[in-house]
Amino acid sequence: MTFNLGKNQIVSLLGKNGAGKSTLIKCLNRILSPQSGVIKVNDKDIKDLDLVQLSKLMSYVPQSVRTNFSMDVFDVILLGRRPHIRWRVSPQDRDKVSETIRYLGLEEFSFRKFDEISGGERQRVIIAKAVVQDPDLYLFDEPTSDLDLNSQIQIMKRIRQLVSVGDTSKSALIAIHDINIAARFSDRIILMHDGGIKAYGTPEEVLTEQNIADVFGVSSELIKATENSPLRILINDEIIKFDSTDEQEVDDNE
Amino acid sequence: MDSISLKHIKNGKLQVSIVILLAVFTILSALFALGIGSSENLDFFTTVKFIFGFEEPSDLQSAIIWEYRFPRILMAIIGGVALATAGALMQGCLGNPLVSPLTLGVASGAALGAALAIVLGFSIVSIPELAIVANSFVFSLIVVFIIIQLGKMTSLTAESYILVGIAITFICGAIVSAMQYFATDAQLSQLAHWSFGSLSRPDLADVLWISVVVIGLLPTAMKWSWDLNAISLGGDEFAITTGVDPISIRKNILILSALMTSIVIAFTGMIGFVGLAAPHMSRIIVGNDFRKLIPCSAVFGAFLMIFADTLGRTLFAPIVIPVGVMLSIIGGPFFMYLLLSKRGI
Repeated sequence: MTFNLGKNQIVSLLGKNGAGKSTLIKCLNRILSPQSGVIKVNDKDIKDLDLVQLSKLMSYVPQSVRTNFSMDVFDVILLGRRPHIRWRVSPQDRDKVSETIRYLGLEEFSFRKFDEISGGERQRVIIAKAVVQDPDLYLFDEPTSDLDLNSQIQIMKRIRQLVSVGDTSKSALIAIHDINIAARFSDRIILMHDGGIKAYGTPEEVLTEQNIADVFGVSSELIKATENSPLRILINDEIIKFDSTDEQEVDDNE
Repeated sequence: MDSISLKHIKNGKLQVSIVILLAVFTILSALFALGIGSSENLDFFTTVKFIFGFEEPSDLQSAIIWEYRFPRILMAIIGGVALATAGALMQGCLGNPLVSPLTLGVASGAALGAALAIVLGFSIVSIPELAIVANSFVFSLIVVFIIIQLGKMTSLTAESYILVGIAITFICGAIVSAMQYFATDAQLSQLAHWSFGSLSRPDLADVLWISVVVIGLLPTAMKWSWDLNAISLGGDEFAITTGVDPISIRKNILILSALMTSIVIAFTGMIGFVGLAAPHMSRIIVGNDFRKLIPCSAVFGAFLMIFADTLGRTLFAPIVIPVGVMLSIIGGPFFMYLLLSKRGI
């Protein structure tokens, strides 16, 4: 499996449950080890990097973080500086945390306990932690799954800002279920199916009715993107069944 | 520096100040304990005068202070520091606030070693006086070695370490029970007394050796504070993505905790509660940042041991209730209070 992540790009990983989206992300940051093969980032085998080097290259935002040992939000975010700190926290480390807190609108929660804030707020805190880690690549594992609709949009807008603002050359790879969120916010989509990449390209190139039917087994209608609205996918109820011939059978719910 | 950073610094300084005050209070408690006892002509003020050279003690008074009370109180401090630090480390690396230094089977290994020495006369050293201490120390480390090796073979998770520790505790307990069944009354009595935990067993030379080991290990414990913050907050996945190797850190911390615990309980016998309670008490003041939690736990551990031992020496004087028993009596209700109160776990 080979794919490119351009600078200042958001690339989404889409696919059915079990397609390997989260597994791919976890293999990239060595939470999991592949059973075979080599993973290379920028032509370097990631096994040749120690965890500190790897965490300077990429940071990870999981779906959720649950803890038995809560800390102040500021200290949670400060953990993102761990790859850059030997022991003492420098004024620059603190300032980076403070800047990020303001950038992500977390001032109100800075000194509240992590387990006392809502799910959406916690997700922003973990994103802040990923930001202060100062990586080249952000890895997001279903960052919107546990969030309400408004929070989902807020988080995706923040991710867009992270890779687009200033002279940064950062990228984001996001494993995501919501096909419309992916269509709206992604520069590229990797559509995974049967252990490989079925399609890779812009949302318009990848999210075709045929591809959606092949991968997800549903029929859909596409509303093309305009100047004022993104590409939207309307999912129908019908399940598309395939037999061994080319002929397609459509289940009639009526 | 902006206001959020300044507030973070201010909060940190406040917490550190509280820990320093607690440390000073603990030292004063130790001084106070030095002056407390059943000797009629050795009250607190007299003892203070002797210690600071304002008066010359008699030989008996000097012996009571320097050969009886001082080693005991120093052992309380060092033992409390060691067990509380080990407790904080283990709770962090196993991600579980209910573990203590005794969870991994260290105590049951020590008890097995002591039982082998007392009941079977088996010793790994040729000096009979050191049999119980040496056996306890070595067998407690053997248990930890087994667990570490199991971890290497099977990639044990944090939860698995705890379950393996429980299993080993049962196994060692079964062997000790079997030996107790065949032991004489005298041997049973000696084993029971060993299990109560007492600070009077180590002499001054022993306490100084223990102090050197424990103080020598403390900087290493502090070195892993950042890593413990990552592991305890979000588990292994979170730690890996923050540049922390949880498997390696966990193994190293477990070895360190076992060393700290074994060196103490080999001499004193079983002392529980401190390693579990001191970190919880510390969290109320400094939260879960291990850079502050470890030193604060150490201070609370020392204070708890001094308090329990002094109470045990004085409550029914001249009868001395062993510190392990006192801690158990105080510990249960206190921990229940912590669990039920708003600022519990």
